[in-house]
Amino acid sequence: MKFKINRDHFANGLAQVLNVVGSKATMPILSNVLIEAEKDQISLTTTNLDLGIRCKIKAEVKEAGTVTLPVKRLASIVRELPNTDVTVDAAPNHQVKLSSGGSTFRIMGIGKEEFPPLPEFGDEKAFTLEQSELAAMLRSVSYAESQDETRYILNGVYFNFKDGKFSLVATDGRRLALMSKEMDVPAESSGSIILPAKTVSELSRLLDKGEKVKINFNERRCAFQIASNKDSSGLIDSIYLYSKVVEGNYPNYNQVIPKETHQRIKLERQLLLDCVHRAALVCSEKANQVKLKLTSNLLEITAQSPDFGEAHESMAVNYSGPDLQVAFNPTFIMDPLKALTKDEIFFEVKDEISPGVFKTLDSFVCVIMPVRLT
Amino acid sequence: MPSIRILPDRVANQIAAGEVVERPQAVIKELVENALDAGATRVEVEFSHGGRSMMRVEDNGCGMSREDALLCLERHATSKIIEADDLNRLGSYGFRGEALPSIASVSRFTLQTRPQGSESGTEVLVNGGRLLHVRDCGRPVGTRIEVAQLFHPVPARRKFLKTDQTEAAHIVQCVRLYALACPGVSFTLIEDGRVLFRSPECPRLLDRVGEIFGRHFTADLVPIEVREGDMVLRGLIGKPVAARPTRHEMISFINGRPVDSRTVNYAIVESYHEYIAKGRYPMAFLFLEIDPAAVDVNVHPAKREVRFRSEPQVRSFIIRAILQRLRELGQAASPLLGAQTEPARQAEAGGVQPPGSAPVAGGAAEAAGPGGQAQGMQPAPAATVSALDAAGRVIKVPAFSAGLEAAAADRLPGAGVSSATPQQPIPSPRQAAPVLTAWRFIGLAQGSLALFEAPGGLVVLDRRSALERIWYERLLAQHGTGALAVQRLLLPSTLELDPVASALVKDRLGFVQAHGFELVEFGRNFFRIEAVPDWMEPGDAVDFIRELAGALRDGRFQGRDERVWHEEYARLASAKAVRLSQRAGEAEMLGLLRDLFLTRAPLTSPQGRATYFELSQGELARRLQI
Repeated sequence: MKFKINRDHFANGLAQVLNVVGSKATMPILSNVLIEAEKDQISLTTTNLDLGIRCKIKAEVKEAGTVTLPVKRLASIVRELPNTDVTVDAAPNHQVKLSSGGSTFRIMGIGKEEFPPLPEFGDEKAFTLEQSELAAMLRSVSYAESQDETRYILNGVYFNFKDGKFSLVATDGRRLALMSKEMDVPAESSGSIILPAKTVSELSRLLDKGEKVKINFNERRCAFQIASNKDSSGLIDSIYLYSKVVEGNYPNYNQVIPKETHQRIKLERQLLLDCVHRAALVCSEKANQVKLKLTSNLLEITAQSPDFGEAHESMAVNYSGPDLQVAFNPTFIMDPLKALTKDEIFFEVKDEISPGVFKTLDSFVCVIMPVRLT
Repeated sequence: MPSIRILPDRVANQIAAGEVVERPQAVIKELVENALDAGATRVEVEFSHGGRSMMRVEDNGCGMSREDALLCLERHATSKIIEADDLNRLGSYGFRGEALPSIASVSRFTLQTRPQGSESGTEVLVNGGRLLHVRDCGRPVGTRIEVAQLFHPVPARRKFLKTDQTEAAHIVQCVRLYALACPGVSFTLIEDGRVLFRSPECPRLLDRVGEIFGRHFTADLVPIEVREGDMVLRGLIGKPVAARPTRHEMISFINGRPVDSRTVNYAIVESYHEYIAKGRYPMAFLFLEIDPAAVDVNVHPAKREVRFRSEPQVRSFIIRAILQRLRELGQAASPLLGAQTEPARQAEAGGVQPPGSAPVAGGAAEAAGPGGQAQGMQPAPAATVSALDAAGRVIKVPAFSAGLEAAAADRLPGAGVSSATPQQPIPSPRQAAPVLTAWRFIGLAQGSLALFEAPGGLVVLDRRSALERIWYERLLAQHGTGALAVQRLLLPSTLELDPVASALVKDRLGFVQAHGFELVEFGRNFFRIEAVPDWMEPGDAVDFIRELAGALRDGRFQGRDERVWHEEYARLASAKAVRLSQRAGEAEMLGLLRDLFLTRAPLTSPQGRATYFELSQGELARRLQI
């Protein structure tokens, strides 16, 4: 195998696949990247068995072939090479010579035989989405994923294609974020998957490289083909992301979203975020809540911690309902506010034990459960 | 029909011997006690074949005249009490006047004694209760008693003796106890001509403990001395980290008498309950001094058992005293407590003085204050609580200030009155915030460990144990203030319990709710968890309630003392509250240390595991031979 490649293209390609390495010491091959050279391109593949990424970069291939190299180390070497022209030459014993300008590296590789191939997909359910839209939707919900590994069902984002709607849901049992859009969903293609948190973060990182993203899935696994035509850094064709899905039943989220609206206030997103953020500065591990108090046309936000002090913020709102007061974990308020981009949001509350609900005009819902002081 | 008759003395003595002389060790006990009662400063004990063939106790006490030497072999002849009322004022070990005649009736008994001022000594030989001869003999002042062929007149008893090794072990243990009880008396113990131990007169209990149990042992002991009313508790207690698998190092003395008191043992174990894991026991060498009238030692001829007039009072006094000391240790636990905190702590120590001794306390605080700043270990002249306090600190830093321990212990005998006030205010966190400026966080290891470089060496911290301790106290405090944040759940968890657990949980629903759970029963043995304390991950709630039900089942929430329940709850909950971050910065880790040192017992987790240990520079140098 022998090819010539632009250093920055090579580095960019490696950066796409870099994050996916196996942690098992028993399979050292999983910390390697599979490099396959053919025609005018090389493809780079990494996998940790649960998740795999493959991208293609243009290169001047002199001799087709394959080899695997330690990806982290290779990426840091490539980034630092002195010259933009890089020549890669693999000997049959898997020793790779990497030269650029005056520097030459010899790197020990492993043959491709041990490298587990990424499963290819056939005729599963398939949908095509706008990359920018999927990215925005993921951003709006993914913060609500559970971090608690004992509830593995909730460690991810739920993709639901059903009844003419595509919905993304994430919840950790105390809050839930839902973003949906109208979409043509043929009955035979309707279905749902839970995408693991790690895949969600990789996917979010890879999106926005082109226009379309195609998703294929069945009950056990899924794949994303992320078009990379917008990208000028050497990536060609599309990036292929393969992932296992979390198997299990996602909780019935429709049931926990309040159907009725009691008190609704319109708020300026950034303003509310700033106020809560400031108030939360006094919170501590022992006292991690902010109190929202609604009186006629006034929203007061207070927080206090016994060993530090207290904060009081007030903002004018358009409100004429009864006085009420409710406390929340400040993170639960700030997370959706940070993720959204709309300037205007709606907040619905009822009383101190009922959930608070954030909404926007484009079918976004975030339900957060209050904290009560006994 | 046989007629009733009074038994001859010899027979009566043999019957009494059955009670008094259970085994050879009992003979040694009686003779050593007599020696100590006679004011001896040197006691030599020798035995062979587990005491079966020969036992000899020799002392340099006051000795006896010929008349006394003969009289002491009569039943109920004693010099130790005169009237019944004396039983309420016992200052001596013996008083029943039964021991010598009993022993003499079942052995070949030789008594040699010479009082001060007499030209020659007396030798009395009794065999199986029959006086064989009385004659002059030469010997130094004091008494020597040799008991040979024990139980030869009652062969049945001989058969009940255990192996020589077992009997010897009992004798050794017995002599050790008296050696501990009287550090000021030199003891020699000889078995079959071989010296088992020889301890010179020791100025301090600590030295005696070292002589008997080994020097390394003493590093884990700290002095304690607390007086309350007419009760005094003094001695040595083990640091929580030095827990033992058996009770063998839990030794107590009441008015100098080694006893096996359930009350005292229970109180010791109870005091350590927060500090030591289940199934492990603290070390303790405790001397309880109490008005002789308030304690009855005349329960059993061997006097190993005692009864207190007011058991609860004694027990709570011991618990309070030990707990207070353990907390002091905990507060002084940080090997880095800076000078800033010293005055505050001194002031506080002064604050618990009874009003009468306030001036002294003030003086001590002043005296100890600058000392504390200069290292916290200059001896305070008028040592009171503050001195103890300072002593505590000194002992807490053994690794970094080797050799100063002795100085601390030296001061103990001089330590005067202190009061164990149970409601002693816990210092507010701000007051005692330790200074960690010279500390450097090195990194994480083995997942849960954190390594620090301290001015005097290395510190290895178990983050899990540390966090458990912090959370434990935080949860306890939270309950006290009643400000408990409850996070309602969006997706309630459901839980099925077996019928017994379900009934127990239902019984205690109020208690569970008071700790921040909203548990709603829906259907038989099914519960829905609708809210959890805000620190808990919703996913842990089901497991936790199950554990709680298990604990209820084990009877860990019995009794009426709600405080105990809360402690038990906090212990369970603290294990759940801990979340270890995989990556941790210096600020976070030093913060963790600081939080830990602000707790009442930073040395151990609520389960009794050690939270950290130190490797001093000296230790490192020794191990690496640099």
